[in-house]
This record gives sequence, structure tokens and C-alpha cells, in this order.
Amino acid sequence: MATRPAAEIPTAVPPLSAERQVTWPRRTRARLANGIEVVLAESHTIPKFHGELFLRSGNAAAIHRGTGLAEMTATVVRTGTVKRPSRQIEEDLRRLGADLSSHAGADNSAIGFAGLSELAEPLLQLVNELACEAAFPEAEFERERRQKLEEVKLDRTQPGFLAGERLRKVLFGAHPYAQVAPTEEQVAAYKRDDLFSVYRDFYTPENALLLMVGDFNSAAMLKIIEGVFGAWSGKKPTVQPSPEPPKPRGRRVHLVHVPGAVQAQILAGCHAITRKHPDWIKLSLTNSLYGGAFNSRLVMNIREDKGYTYSPRSSVNPLRQYGYFSISAAVRNDVVAASLTEMFYELDKLRALPVPEPELGDARNYVSGVFSLGLATQDGLLSQLATVALNELPDDYLETYREKVRALTPDDLLATARKYFDSANMQIVVVGDRTQIEPQAALFGDLDVYDAHGKRLG
Amino acid sequence: MKISIESTTLANGLKVVIAPDTTAPVVTVGVYYKIGFRLEPQGRSGFAHLFEHMMFQGSANAPKMQHIKLINSSGGTLNGSTHYDVTNYFESVPSNALGRVLWLEADRMRALKVDDENLRNQRDVVKEEVRVNVLNQPYGGFPWLDLPPIAFRNWANAHNFYGDFADLDAASLADVQSFFKTYYAPNNAVLLILGDVKADEGLALARKYFGDIPAGAAPPFADPREPEQTEERRGEVEEKFGTLPAMAIGYTVPPRRTTDWCAMALLDQALHGGRAGRIYRHLVLEKQVAVEVDGGIEDIFGYNGPTQMVTKILHKPEFRSDATLAEFDSVIREVQQNGITQDELDQLKIKFRSDYYSTLEGGHGGMPRYGLMHLLACFSLFDNEPQLVNTVLDGFLAVKCEDIQGVAKKYLRNDKRAIVFRRLPNAQAQEAA
Repeated sequence: MATRPAAEIPTAVPPLSAERQVTWPRRTRARLANGIEVVLAESHTIPKFHGELFLRSGNAAAIHRGTGLAEMTATVVRTGTVKRPSRQIEEDLRRLGADLSSHAGADNSAIGFAGLSELAEPLLQLVNELACEAAFPEAEFERERRQKLEEVKLDRTQPGFLAGERLRKVLFGAHPYAQVAPTEEQVAAYKRDDLFSVYRDFYTPENALLLMVGDFNSAAMLKIIEGVFGAWSGKKPTVQPSPEPPKPRGRRVHLVHVPGAVQAQILAGCHAITRKHPDWIKLSLTNSLYGGAFNSRLVMNIREDKGYTYSPRSSVNPLRQYGYFSISAAVRNDVVAASLTEMFYELDKLRALPVPEPELGDARNYVSGVFSLGLATQDGLLSQLATVALNELPDDYLETYREKVRALTPDDLLATARKYFDSANMQIVVVGDRTQIEPQAALFGDLDVYDAHGKRLG
Repeated sequence: MKISIESTTLANGLKVVIAPDTTAPVVTVGVYYKIGFRLEPQGRSGFAHLFEHMMFQGSANAPKMQHIKLINSSGGTLNGSTHYDVTNYFESVPSNALGRVLWLEADRMRALKVDDENLRNQRDVVKEEVRVNVLNQPYGGFPWLDLPPIAFRNWANAHNFYGDFADLDAASLADVQSFFKTYYAPNNAVLLILGDVKADEGLALARKYFGDIPAGAAPPFADPREPEQTEERRGEVEEKFGTLPAMAIGYTVPPRRTTDWCAMALLDQALHGGRAGRIYRHLVLEKQVAVEVDGGIEDIFGYNGPTQMVTKILHKPEFRSDATLAEFDSVIREVQQNGITQDELDQLKIKFRSDYYSTLEGGHGGMPRYGLMHLLACFSLFDNEPQLVNTVLDGFLAVKCEDIQGVAKKYLRNDKRAIVFRRLPNAQAQEAA
């Protein structure tokens, strides 16, 4: 084989040396007089900082006014304030060496930003302007609405989007989480005044969480924040109740027909739990062992052994009110049935047999090790802090996570797999050309076929 | 901001660069080989990337899956990627696993051990990678696979880097062995250790694990230079899934580490820098011809041969492609005729400096110090000067307004550019109507 001869080759795997203690940076927490919750942490890796201003209402809370309306509102927020027109906002950002994004998911709206430490205060002033003085200029709104129309058409040409959209519809039914993007008709019906009313209700200090991580002194930064955001006012929005999601019983196949597709995108899923649930860490570890890591059973099986796919993976997807578990792989057309067979084989095996202790030990090390990689970068730390704050997890969550992972046993994993890997009721979405894959997909349950726009096909 | 760096070259020619930083008990290790898809063998398009997959298939003392299992079970993540002129392998792990990571990287540099079954398996995996990223995606391969065959005349720069399936099928175990022997020698590589490590300990570990790997013969490299371009080049690719016509315009950039190159990087920022960039502002915000505009010089420090600054435009179907191109041309003409103001240049420099810091800190799926690793590796392999990470910024911050106008006139010329049009299946008929 391709070997370079050498005198002496070390053949044994070197053992791990003593672990250095993981120390999470101190967090500075405050609630300003107007209600904004603030969490700061110092990280002096580069002379910059990263921040995110969350508003705890997103597309789900706006659903009765319009699908995707919180996202559209976030898009138009950056296009003008009472003090600055669009072009000046963009040039000022560049002048501050800053990046800014405004977006909304199902549960939150957010303005994310990063900039140079030396120019922190003027960037925060701009963020504050966007949060309380956005002007929603009519011309900017109209342009962004037409942009959005083209974007939603483009979305429905992407297999990954189509699979995710269909699974959410199947799992969430009449609940707002079923709607991941608006239709063209819904976008066409957006009105500037609807956006403005979402803005007025959602973008309030009582609904806000400001997180910042970076190269600053926390006490001094808190003073700046108080000065910049202190005048913002507004109440927490009222929360409307949502219908219960359905509980699909029995495996069912939902095929989204894309004529000419040369590959099949599989996405199977079932209901699971939220981030706040006491079983979350158990489920994370069980997922990591199933398909959440490179060294997982699913990847070993359908990629490294069988070569069906490039990027198989499984995930636990927490939303605020509900969570779901999903398995995905883009596979070649002739192995759809073979891939699903192996996915269920590995799922059922974890439900039936305890995980051998060495394999569990490896998975425990993986999950606890990669958790602390987040310490090393400003945005990594920011996302850890966001998880804790948005899910109202205990203050010592970061410090105790690794111990909790390391305490888990084969019995814990067996119970977790039985409880949450709902093999018998998995909903199977396959996106591809029905003429190539339909007979294979139909082997796994009653079959419904849709086009890319959600219309039922015969 | 100054990065502390220690570097040396071992007796076998392996370059070693250590950048200690004890912020977190985490260490990032990279091994870069100076071979990418540009100079892979003719008749074997896609081979450099396929070979990268083979490097995860087993070495003398770490059989298939052992490498991945040992990194994951040490609490770390890993990957590899193939670029134009380098291929990299990297891991981020808790620092108590450093010895183990170095042992694994040394084992596969010393003795790759793979068989026909591994090759068959990874050929299948790579084909699904090409399908998921290119063949089954709207705008797949646009424009990174579309533009090179139109823009360039030298096979090295112009071929299909992901690989024609016939070439992937033709690749044999003998090709794997020969490629390994030719390019994967310590004297064609750099080892990088960044993060929670002391410089002297890092160097000692590098010597311990890599020091006795024998050097190879100096690898042969084909000449990647292009003949002088004297006419605009155009081509077309059919868009199978997308709903919007698209085009990409590429101008060849000046040689790296010249004054013109620094000016071109800031001109790139003026043209492509987000929503403040001139092209986005004109085509999307003002004229509303385009839906998406982005682009620029990708990975400006990470290539070592002909490359282009590329603008990608997805435009509304009601605008013809020549009308869209005319709007683009008016942006280029404006900067050629009037240059940019000192105020704009000041903004561009602040943003460039800020982006540079972010590059150093992260840049690859949350992997700490990926960007710093990448720059140190490229400055070592291409320039033999890793300390450039601390000085390279100065050249960009010294650019003057007239330099920007100068490179706009000199390099943004129609006879120096290439354009690819992504046409929707029925668009030709529409345009003729």
C-alpha cells in the first residue's frame, strides 16, 4: 500500500492527557427600567463584539394577521428610520465596520449585529433606532414585497425547503408552526400597515432580550446600553392561544413531486420535546448516537458502509411550544427503499437493545466536548447564551451541562429512544421525481402526492 | 491586534506553525497539502476532491472509521476541504486530545491504507455530494463550475473541479497511491496548531509524531498561467429548476500581494459590500432589475493562480439579460470615470479591517480559528511567510482613491472578462420574441 518506510512507527493511540477545566465567562445580567432584559459576557479574542436583540414574538404570534408577516416586518425594519433613510443606514453600518441582519423565525424576531469595539456606541444607537423608530417607508416596503414574491417562488425549487415545509405541515396541521413560508398570494396581500402593527406590538422593551458578547468591559457596556436604550417604551404583547397540533398515527408517506429530480430528498419526523423539557439532554445524546454526529450509527451505515448518500443526519428541533425529531438524507433515486429500511433498522435497534457502554462513553465525550467549543468564539458563546436566555434555562446550565451528559446510562438511552423515536408513527416526506421513486416510497405507508405548491396530485 | 506565532521547518521539510492562545481549553489542528483541484491530473477531473475523501478511509494504524471515531469520542469535530491550490484536514478538540490528533494526522501522512472497496464506497458518496450540491439544486454550480470553462484556456483553470462522472468512475486505486506518493509528502505540507498549547510543547509534539516521516521528491506542478486574454468571452448554461434567469460576470484579478491586488480588494468591497455595495444598490435597490446580487473575490488570501472577481446576478424575468447587463455596465463605467470619494474609501477600509478580524477568529461552521489557520497555511505554503497575518492588512489600509480608479480602468475591461448566462429552458424563445 502507499507507505513511506520509516525506522520506528508509533502504533498505539495516544491516551488523552488530563483535562483542563472549562471555565465559562461570568455573565452580567440586568433588567432596565423599561423592561429590557440584558445579558453580557466578555470575550477578548478579537477587538470586536457580537450582539443580538431578540423580540420574543415571531411568525407564529403574527399568524392571524398574515403568514410570514413577522419575517417581512423584520426585513423592512432595516430600510429606514425617522432619522435615516435606507442608503444612510447601509453606509453608516460600513462606516462602523459593522454587519447587521434582521429576521424572524417561528418564535422570535431578532436584530443581529457585530462591529468593532471602538465603535460600539454608535452601532447600538442604530440598533435602538431600528427597534423603536423604524419608519417603514412605502417605497421600500413595496420593493421588498416584490423581492419577497420572487424569493418564495425560488424557495419552492429547493428540495430541502420543500421537504421541511411538508413535514411541518404534516406534524403541525392547524398550529402556526405548520406555516414555514408564505404563498405568493399571501405575499401579494401584505400591507404596509399590517407590518407596522406587528412592529408596534412586537418591538417593545418588555418583549426584548439584548445579548452581547465581546471585547468590552461589562460594567461600562451596561452603562452605554442604559443610555442608548433607556428611552424606548412599550408593553409586552398579548399572546393568542394556538390550536393543538395533530398526533399522526401510523407511518404515512408524503411525496412532493419534482419532475426531473435526479436525487430523492428524504425527511422523516415525529413529535418530540422542547428545550425546557427535563429529558432534553437525554434526547440530545440519543440523537447524537443515532445520526447527530459523523461517528453515528446512521452515518456509518448509509454513508460509510453503503454509499447511498453524502450527508445523512438526524436532529432534534426545539421550538418554544413543541419540538420534533427528524432524520434526513439526499439519496440516489434507486435506493430510496433501501435507505428508509436502514433508517428504521437503526431507529428500532436503539429502541430494542441497550447501547454498549464503550459506544455510549464515546457519545458522551462527543456531546460534552463540542459543547465547550462554543467558548472559543464570540458568536459561539452568543448562541449558547441565547439558548439559555430564550428558553429560560437555569443560570448554571452551561456549567452543569457536561456533568449531566456524563451521568447518562444505557438504560436512560433505551428509555429515551422508546419514548421519543416514535418509529411506528414516523411521517415520511420524500421530495423527488415520482416516476423514479413512487413505488419504493409507497412500501413504507399510505401515500399522498403533492406538487411543489402543495396541491394534492392523484 | 497581533497574533503570536512560532514557526519552523522540520528536517523532512514539513512546515510547522504554532499560534498559542489560552482563551479556552480548545485546540485546532490543521494539515494543509499544497495541491488542490487546479493541478489534479488531466483525465481525472474531480480527483483531488475524491482523494480528500479517501484520506478519511484508513491509515496504517487507524483503520477505516477509526480516525473519525477517535476525534468524535475525544469531544471534537473534524472535516476536510479541497480548494483551488490546497487541500486541508482539520480538527477542533478539547486540548487534552492534542497528542491523539497529531498521531492520527501523522499516521495518514505516513501511510494511507485504503482498498478498492473504500474507493467504490467514496465514489458513490461523492456522486451524491455532486447531486445534492449541483445536479439536483437550483443554480447548482452557478457560477463556480459554470464560469471557469468559459473564462480560461489552460485546462488547469478551466476543467470541472467536482469531476465528470466518467472521470470519477475511471479513477483507480493506483491513481490514489500515486497521488498520495506525489503530493502528500511532508515537504509539500504545513502543520498548524492553534489555541490551547504552549509553543515549545507544540513544536516538541510535532517533532515526536511527524519528525521521522521521510521526505518525498519535490512534487512536479503544471504551469497554471493563462495566455493573454484579448476578447470578451461568453457562454450559456441551462437552468433546470430555478425560476429566475441569472448571469455571472468575472474579471481576472491582479497577481496576489501587489499594490493593484490590494486596490482591487477594496474596489471589490465598494462593488459587492452588502447592501451598501454599488452593484446591489443600483440593480436591486434603485433600478429593481435584480432580485439577488452578490459576489467578489472569494477567499482572497487562499489561491495561488489565476482567479476572478465574480458578480452573481439573479434578475427578474421581465428584464432581458442584455438590459440587465447594461445596468451592471453602468456601475462599472461610473467607478472608472469618477472613481470613489475619500469618505467612501474610509468606510471601505474600516469594514475591511473589521472583516479581517472576524476571518481570524472563526469562519467555518463555528470552528474556532479556522480562518487564522487558513491564512497561516496559505501564507506558509505560497509565501513561506506565516507572519504575514500580522502585516498583510497594512497594504490594504494604504490604498488611495486614485489606486481604486486605476485598477477599475485597468482590470474591469470587457476584453478581460467572461460572462455566463443561466437561461431558463424557454427563455431563448422569449428573448427572440
